[in-house]
Amino acid sequence: MDQHKMTIPADKWAPIDRGAQDAEFIAAPSLTYWQDVRQRLWRNRPAMASLAFIIFLILAAIFGPMMTHHTYYDQDLKLSNIPPIFEVYQTSPEDGEPQYVFLNSGNFKLYEVNEGGEILGLLRAKRKDLMKKQHIYAFGEEELRVDYSQLPATLVDGDGNPATSLGLKWNQTNWFGTDSLGRDVLVRQLYGARISLTVAFVAALVNFFIGVFYGGVAGYFGGNVDNVMMRIVEIISTIPLTLYVILMMVVFQSGFLSIIIAIGSVFWVDMARIVRGQMLSLKNQDYVAAAKTMGASTKRILTRHLLPNTMGPILVTLTLLIPSAIFIESFMSFIGLGVSVPMASWGTLTAEAVETLRAYPHQLFFPAAAISLTMFAFNFLGDGLRDALDPRLRK
Amino acid sequence: MMALTLFLIITLTFFLMHAIPGGPFTSEKMLAPEIEAALNAKYGLDKPIWQQYLSYLQGILTFDLGPSFKYPGVRVNDLIREGLPVTAQTGFLAMLCVVALGIPLGIVAALNQNKWQDTTIMAVATMGVAIPSYVLATIALYLFALQWNLVPTFGLDDWRGYILPVAALSGFWLSFIARLSRSSLLEVLGQDYMVTARAKGLHPQTILFKHGMRNALIPIVTVLGPVVANLLTGSFVIEQIFALPGIGRHFVLSISNRDYTTIMGITIFYAAFLMLMILIVDLLYMVLDPRIKLAEKS
Repeated sequence: MDQHKMTIPADKWAPIDRGAQDAEFIAAPSLTYWQDVRQRLWRNRPAMASLAFIIFLILAAIFGPMMTHHTYYDQDLKLSNIPPIFEVYQTSPEDGEPQYVFLNSGNFKLYEVNEGGEILGLLRAKRKDLMKKQHIYAFGEEELRVDYSQLPATLVDGDGNPATSLGLKWNQTNWFGTDSLGRDVLVRQLYGARISLTVAFVAALVNFFIGVFYGGVAGYFGGNVDNVMMRIVEIISTIPLTLYVILMMVVFQSGFLSIIIAIGSVFWVDMARIVRGQMLSLKNQDYVAAAKTMGASTKRILTRHLLPNTMGPILVTLTLLIPSAIFIESFMSFIGLGVSVPMASWGTLTAEAVETLRAYPHQLFFPAAAISLTMFAFNFLGDGLRDALDPRLRK
Repeated sequence: MMALTLFLIITLTFFLMHAIPGGPFTSEKMLAPEIEAALNAKYGLDKPIWQQYLSYLQGILTFDLGPSFKYPGVRVNDLIREGLPVTAQTGFLAMLCVVALGIPLGIVAALNQNKWQDTTIMAVATMGVAIPSYVLATIALYLFALQWNLVPTFGLDDWRGYILPVAALSGFWLSFIARLSRSSLLEVLGQDYMVTARAKGLHPQTILFKHGMRNALIPIVTVLGPVVANLLTGSFVIEQIFALPGIGRHFVLSISNRDYTTIMGITIFYAAFLMLMILIVDLLYMVLDPRIKLAEKS
């Protein structure tokens, strides 16, 4: 063997690459748990998009209604059920300026607009030909007829030819159109967002305080205290929360405040359970025993040692409870137990849209989209947060 | 334990309903005081509250939920008996959908993790979890019933009438169960005993169903109790949107009518029903996992 080794020429020998020693070197700065979580969350695209959407929604709900002269309660029955997008037609009088009109095919009415798409007002028909199913409008010499003998209604000129269309225009006066009482849908949507977000915020806050306190006390003290407290939770959770909230709403009369009381008073149950479970497993850890040995008070152990370690599950539960609180509120409003008129919530907006579904299906679109997107956003954020907080998923 | 819970619920509901200011006959139409007194006497409302409470309890013991305040001559029992078949039918079908579609979809997604089947199923399931049932129901109603005339807009006269209500009712929980069974099965598939089973040369189907699913089903069974509860409350809006004469609709109507005995009666009926469901789920547990014994729980 030794002889064999000697036969290798000296130039074949080279010093080992120093880089191999660098393998021991820690290149990335060491991260605390929360820095790590933040990084993982930041890399989760759907979660970040959801967060951006939620922030946008909050800003829109706060500042949106200030930036418009529309209010959520102003009615204008002349301008009811206006769609957000309409087809503009031009009249061509021999002398003078051309006029622009659009036809609301849901109620066969003709409205005057300007070239940009701002609504100027409702036009009055010169006469109504009920036999031919036509409404006749006069513009100087020229005539335009709304023909509703065949649905959908069309706009024709005096000879029965289709009127000159200028194509689709976005409604500049009411971006999302108006509802059956002529109220601006966009502003009502924004007020709905305010209500949903307030409910979400309050539910989260109440959840956090009552749930964490209740669960924390039950889990930490254990024994009989735990037994009694968890029995209560068990009894509360036997009835579905929706039923509770409905009962509360019946007792307190419907209104915004009652919704908040109702949701706040029963929604902490899940949180209490989760915190209790965490507490039960954490309180037997060595560091708690160490803290006890050093003479830390119960309060200090709870707030300094146990609570920060349960923060992950608490946060995830919070983000996942928020969509269900928003859902309950809109559900209540939908069955007529929510905010009282003329206040608007996404649930009442959907319920109103259902009433006019046959004639104006577009009215369903905005509230349905708003609530679905918000639920999406909170769900994605919650999922992303859960993944980010799970150290097992660390790469 | 259950009897105690039910008793507490009855008591709570009773006193909540009686805490509402104004009697059941206070309305816009002013009744003459004599008539109101007569009505109160007829329904026993002139007695002290503890006597009313006792007689109500007595009624419940004999399965009598009392008269409806708003429909003269109608008893709450009649309303429930009338609405139950409709609610039970749609609810049962929805439950069937949830279990018979949700779990298999979850299995397919888990077995094809990160392939197109998984991505598609999870995308649809995420949508199903996010879109509220009443939105789903109205959109479906508009598209399938009003636009394309594929199904009737209301009523349950033929089998096509069931499609939309059942789909809207089960949509959320179907997606939820699919997601849950996927993640639960994925976790089980990563366990050591699954590798052992494969190493023993067992048939892949035996591994999946006997070793995999049996363990993956435990968290799913846990939520089945709440699923029943939520299908019940979900039926409030679904029955309203599709105009089905079920209990949920009676309940919503009784709320807007302030028909307190009906609200009370249906709440108690729901609670009793749910407790029965939870009991069944507990029993199912024992079948699935022999380690769990009911005696240990209490």
